[in-house]
Amino acid sequence: MPATSLALTPGLASFLKSLKTNPIDTSIENLISLLKRRQIRHSRSCATATAYLLRSVISACRTADSAKLIERVQGVGRRLMAAQPREMVVGNIVRRVLGLIRDEAEDDREAEFALSDVGSESQPQTPRAYDDPSLPLDRDSLSIRSEDRSARPPLTSMFSLLSHPEPEHSLPSTPGSLSPGGRLPGHGPSKDVRAEVLEGIGEIIDELGQVDDQIAAYALDHIHSNEIILTHTSSTTVQKFLLKAAAKRKFTVIHAESYPNNHEATHATVSGGSMHDDDNLGFETFQKPLIEHGITVILIPDSAVFALMSRVNKVILGTHSVLANGGLVAAAGTRVIARAAKVHQTPIVVVSGVYKLSPVYPFDFDSLIEYGDASKVLSYEDGDLVDQIDVQNPIYDYVPAELVDLYITNLGGHAPSYLYRIVSDHYRKEDISF
Amino acid sequence: MATITDDAAAASAKPFDIVATYNELLRSDPDLTMPIAAIEALVLLLTQSASSTISETLDLLEKSTAHLKKSIPNPIGLSAGTDLFQRYLITTLQRPGQLGPAGDFKAIRTHLLSNGRLFIRRAKESRHKIADFGRGFIRDGSTILTNGGSRAVSALLQKAADEEGGPSAVRFRVIYVLSSTATTSGDSSEEPEGMKTVRALREKGVPVSTIPESAVAYSLGKADMVIVGAEGVVENGGIVSRMGTYQIGLLAKAIGKPFYVVAESHKFVRLYPLGQYDLPIVQHVIDFQSEEDIAESTQQSSEATKNEDRPIELPLSASVDFTPPHLISALITDSGVLTPSAVSEELIKIWF
Repeated sequence: MPATSLALTPGLASFLKSLKTNPIDTSIENLISLLKRRQIRHSRSCATATAYLLRSVISACRTADSAKLIERVQGVGRRLMAAQPREMVVGNIVRRVLGLIRDEAEDDREAEFALSDVGSESQPQTPRAYDDPSLPLDRDSLSIRSEDRSARPPLTSMFSLLSHPEPEHSLPSTPGSLSPGGRLPGHGPSKDVRAEVLEGIGEIIDELGQVDDQIAAYALDHIHSNEIILTHTSSTTVQKFLLKAAAKRKFTVIHAESYPNNHEATHATVSGGSMHDDDNLGFETFQKPLIEHGITVILIPDSAVFALMSRVNKVILGTHSVLANGGLVAAAGTRVIARAAKVHQTPIVVVSGVYKLSPVYPFDFDSLIEYGDASKVLSYEDGDLVDQIDVQNPIYDYVPAELVDLYITNLGGHAPSYLYRIVSDHYRKEDISF
Repeated sequence: MATITDDAAAASAKPFDIVATYNELLRSDPDLTMPIAAIEALVLLLTQSASSTISETLDLLEKSTAHLKKSIPNPIGLSAGTDLFQRYLITTLQRPGQLGPAGDFKAIRTHLLSNGRLFIRRAKESRHKIADFGRGFIRDGSTILTNGGSRAVSALLQKAADEEGGPSAVRFRVIYVLSSTATTSGDSSEEPEGMKTVRALREKGVPVSTIPESAVAYSLGKADMVIVGAEGVVENGGIVSRMGTYQIGLLAKAIGKPFYVVAESHKFVRLYPLGQYDLPIVQHVIDFQSEEDIAESTQQSSEATKNEDRPIELPLSASVDFTPPHLISALITDSGVLTPSAVSEELIKIWF
């Protein structure tokens, strides 16, 4: 981890800066190597970098044909995902952008069918409805968008068996069918697609910036006075969530330090020290720690979690990514905490932005776990030992869905079994494996 | 398949017998599922009848469905088909579009009548779709425990074993639980359900081990996952399936192995069983008998009394049980990999 980060260290900030000046292919290469070297590592940083990169890719892509756009984004997306397959948010953002393009292309075609020659002015209305960047509105509009999408093809599911053979043409699923022949490609109403998509990516970027505040808005519903809350790692989402509640209520926080990968950041979060993660600088201005709000914070080693769990009212966890079956991949040690909470019947709440929600089904749990720097477990000063023992430092844990009681996303609280629904609202089926 | 049309032609002479048609359809094509056979029977029924109004047709459908359900010992699977058919008819008529709103009843009628074959084909295709979705679950070196004679499971396993299904064939092993009820019911000449799949898999080079139901707990330790088929998927996401599935589910849960269900989405049925004994079927799996009762029953069977009013009993070899949703890790269907709670939503989509 490049902890001693000067402005020179490559990371999210430097990448975003260079994005404006570098040619697009250099930027793609740049991000790929950043991902490969894990110089961008937090979920949100990866998501932001991907969103900004795709925005540049699309604005550099001088075509109005949505099929070509999709192809281009898929190409870039595949390379990014290959660079860091365990960083699932990259794939999520790519899928959402692909979904955006498909939506715009379909809206376009629908409008074209409906009002044959009115031009581009009448189409953008639907997308512009959820354009307002103001916080609560944006949340509402997100759900409207999802409802809207789910309401549109209500008869595709079980009826598909009996349905008329023709209707497929109205729901194009392959990029090839997106530009049906016999239509003038390239100009006319479809000219607008690119601008709409860029705007949509802007909304995704906005969402990434606001997601923590949106989640924090639910804090008062879940944290009550005099509760004892246990948390883990230095997740900013969790911190903001707790801070929001701390403004109104008095409670106690037990903070497990998550040695060895995240303990320094956790200590800094607890004490409010200046060692804040450089990756987040783009979004996070420094905030007052919980203790300054008069909250009692107890820092404990991870090994004490079980002993203290009987006194805990609620466990609130951050996560690395959430999977379609309701399971999650989170910092190592999370599963132990979740399991301990289950044994004590303590509710487990996971806070996570929707952008972390991946449509990937975890066929193989082991492949999701990333292994980190072994020297954090056993430093190189103990070189003699290293020769004789095998040191491993897994960074993530897979937590199965049945250990989680509630997910709080920027759309609200959901049961783990409901996540499939949010997945189907946010990603198009045809993009799940591209 | 010619038998069906022949059958239909023959039936036109005498009044249309939906039960016979349904049974004939199931017999003539071993790949046909119960819901699809029911839909086919209804299509043939509509072909026979001269009904020209909507309500006449719906009434006819309702009556025939009720009759069919009453005459078949296990109507769970077929009611999925008849419900789907009825809902499709009603929704299409209500929906504005090329076939509605009530504008052209004839058009929808001809669509249904002329596309009977298409439905069957789609239903079979959906099995391949499932196999595509489910292929990812089967990894190299894994061992899969399965039971029953589900064609969807068979298709999935064979697809995984096939060279052309993906980049390369998956090297996996199968533990096949063979039911013993078929043999104990006296029909010892018949091989247990699933032997066909076992042979097909072995032909493809997949090592298969067959075990009796009593060895499931013992064998589960060697298995990585359980994949089963289903006769019907009920509203809460549980499944109605061959007797023995429930205990495999319980054992899998206890040992902590994932339990996957493979089922086509046309098997989703609007039924909410509260437990094992809440299914709309009669099966005497548990039959308390004293020495007296046995003597009495042998006497009775020799008289062979046939009571028409009594609901038809399901033979022991075809008995089913209900696996509740909390035992199921995921349902692999033709509309994707679903959590059990997603089933109710699919049903709501067509009913409301």
